[in-house]
Amino acid sequence: MKKLLALFAFALALTVALPAGGVRAEDRTTVTFWYSLSGVNADAILEIVNRYNQSQDKVFVDAQYQGEYDDAINKLKAAGMGQLPCDIVHSYEIGTRFIIDSGWIRPVQEFIDADHWDTSVIEPNLLAYYTVDGKINSMPFNCSTPLLYYNKTAFEEAGITEVPTTIDGILEIAEKLTTYNANGSVDRYGLYISNYGWFFEQWVGKMGREYVNNGNGRESYATRVMFGENGAALDIFNMWRKFAESPYVMYAERGGTTQGRAAFVANKAAMALASTANIAGTIANVGDAFEVGAAYFPYVNPDDDGGVSTGGGTLWIIDSGNEARMNASYDFIKFCVNPENQAYWSSITGYFPINVNARDTETFKANIEKNPQFEVALDQLHDSGPQYVGSLLSVFPEVRQYVEEVTEKVYMGSLTPEQGVEELVRMADEAIENYNLVNY
Amino acid sequence: MTPSPVPSALVKRKRRRKTLYERLEPWLFLLPALAVFVVFLYYPFFKTVYLSAFLTNRYGEAKVFVGLKNYTDILTGTRSGEFWNSIWVTVRFVFFVTLGGLTMGIVTSLLVEKRFPGNAFASAIFAMPIAIASSAASMSFKMILHPSIGLLNKLLGTQVNWLNDIRYTFGVICVLAVWLATGINFIFISAGLRNIPGELYESAAIDGANGWDKFRCITLPCLSPTLFFQVIIDVINAFQTFNIVKILTLGGPMESTNTIVYSIYLDAFRNFRFGSAAARSIILFLIIMTVTLIQFRAEKRSVHYS
Repeated sequence: MKKLLALFAFALALTVALPAGGVRAEDRTTVTFWYSLSGVNADAILEIVNRYNQSQDKVFVDAQYQGEYDDAINKLKAAGMGQLPCDIVHSYEIGTRFIIDSGWIRPVQEFIDADHWDTSVIEPNLLAYYTVDGKINSMPFNCSTPLLYYNKTAFEEAGITEVPTTIDGILEIAEKLTTYNANGSVDRYGLYISNYGWFFEQWVGKMGREYVNNGNGRESYATRVMFGENGAALDIFNMWRKFAESPYVMYAERGGTTQGRAAFVANKAAMALASTANIAGTIANVGDAFEVGAAYFPYVNPDDDGGVSTGGGTLWIIDSGNEARMNASYDFIKFCVNPENQAYWSSITGYFPINVNARDTETFKANIEKNPQFEVALDQLHDSGPQYVGSLLSVFPEVRQYVEEVTEKVYMGSLTPEQGVEELVRMADEAIENYNLVNY
Repeated sequence: MTPSPVPSALVKRKRRRKTLYERLEPWLFLLPALAVFVVFLYYPFFKTVYLSAFLTNRYGEAKVFVGLKNYTDILTGTRSGEFWNSIWVTVRFVFFVTLGGLTMGIVTSLLVEKRFPGNAFASAIFAMPIAIASSAASMSFKMILHPSIGLLNKLLGTQVNWLNDIRYTFGVICVLAVWLATGINFIFISAGLRNIPGELYESAAIDGANGWDKFRCITLPCLSPTLFFQVIIDVINAFQTFNIVKILTLGGPMESTNTIVYSIYLDAFRNFRFGSAAARSIILFLIIMTVTLIQFRAEKRSVHYS
């Protein structure tokens, strides 16, 4: 019994004494940060959080993984009206309209104004994307554009010196890049094409056309889609028919790029479309097997003159009503986007730095030296103008899903491109109408 | 509050009126269980019925009363094509998975019924799918089924796009679901087999019955209570399959694997249409209830309790 008591006393002493070793936890403002990335990207986020917690003793950031972006939004929704369970939430670009409308947040702009922070360090195109109603509502953190990944070694072997900039160009060289097994089956396809709604949005942007009305949803909330009447969807579906007819193109999957990248890494596809966010992982996985090239996301039509817009995620400050915690959240967010952290973030993941000064850091320079592919995404964004900033739409996730659904039907031939456009526009408009009816 | 103990003989003789507490007592014992049911089953159920008559806003709150419009929209309106497709996919899926799961369960349990060296090992292999989370299995199969680098194509020497070819995907999903269902079926059916008295087989052997006769006239009838239970569980599980579809196909290609549960998920958590999702859930509930009632009817005719 005595032993037990002693043990208990010892344990008690430990729990009391341990926090006193450093700064006592209760003296620090604790903010909860919900992040939504996994794998290497999550490790990098945690490293930044660690750096922050060690850099000062006022605020403690408690980082919690909440599943993918959709999951985090759903959890917020479930928490709903009551006390929201976190202070900072990490969400994707197409959730922007939804979260602003939700009223859960305080625009980052308010804190920036109070702090006199200079927003000109943010990449201008990102600033344009995330400035809604004249305010920066959330701080861009992990930003990406889509790229054409290509197998440089295979290009050299096939004698191809110029990387194509259009889909037609890709289809032309796909034949030369396709290799066969001894039994005549295809060993490596020219292109593995992933059916991902994000690409559709990017292609519309690269045509310089609008996705939805009301200035792409930026002057006022969108009431219908525009890609039907401006011909963008038809051009894209016609392009999918070309993919379907080419024996050198393999359909990878819908709703992501995992399978396409897996084929590319295994040298079973000479080209694939995927986000910059995957570049670090892809280079690491390929290793010495071949040289990975990255090029601009291709145009659908040769005379297109638009540009890509950004994808990725931003950090939102939840309106908790507690000024201390909200200020602490802002302080942490500011830390996340300082040049050094953005350079580190970029070099680990492949997302490009949102802070223009990150390019002057040693970390960034060393990484570009080693992996010049990392710079392509950034160049691509700079070559695109703020006018191709991308659209805002509350039902983006739903429309994206319809895009993928209909694209598949067109690709597999159960709908003609014209029928596909008609069906997609009908579904998307109905979704927007339904949402606006109950929410505005 | 504790009532003073009364000798039971006394109670019987006097038949006095019960005190309030005595009448309440059984309900108090039931209360915890009832509370759990009310909070986690009945309340959500009635809330679902309620929501299905509304359009909901972005928080999932009922906003505009539309009566039966959510139902008519899915049953006959603009979204009916997609809905009936999901019903048809689900019905076929349930049929194949239940049939396959039961067959595999019976076959595997018969295989290890007789003692032989390695029996325990084989049993462990057959029961293993229980221990595998369906999400984890699906993640592995995503790579196993990859058209260019997947294990399956390597083994077969083919180049089939298993998850994106309208001819194969549905079948692939069914096979995977059957495999996952086999483990639990194996366990229950094995246990059922052990309970069949050996004398029945002995007397059958004396009467000159061959293996097939024994299986048909002894094993199956004696196993029927277990099988009945398994059919119900398998059917309900198959109706509610979600992870495999979410991870492997997202309902594609061309909606050939878009089961009703997956479409409910999309409507509620992707599209913020909780009203429509609630209507689908109610329809799914009615379907499962009908199927289960039919099964209980069939039980009277074909299930033999000793």
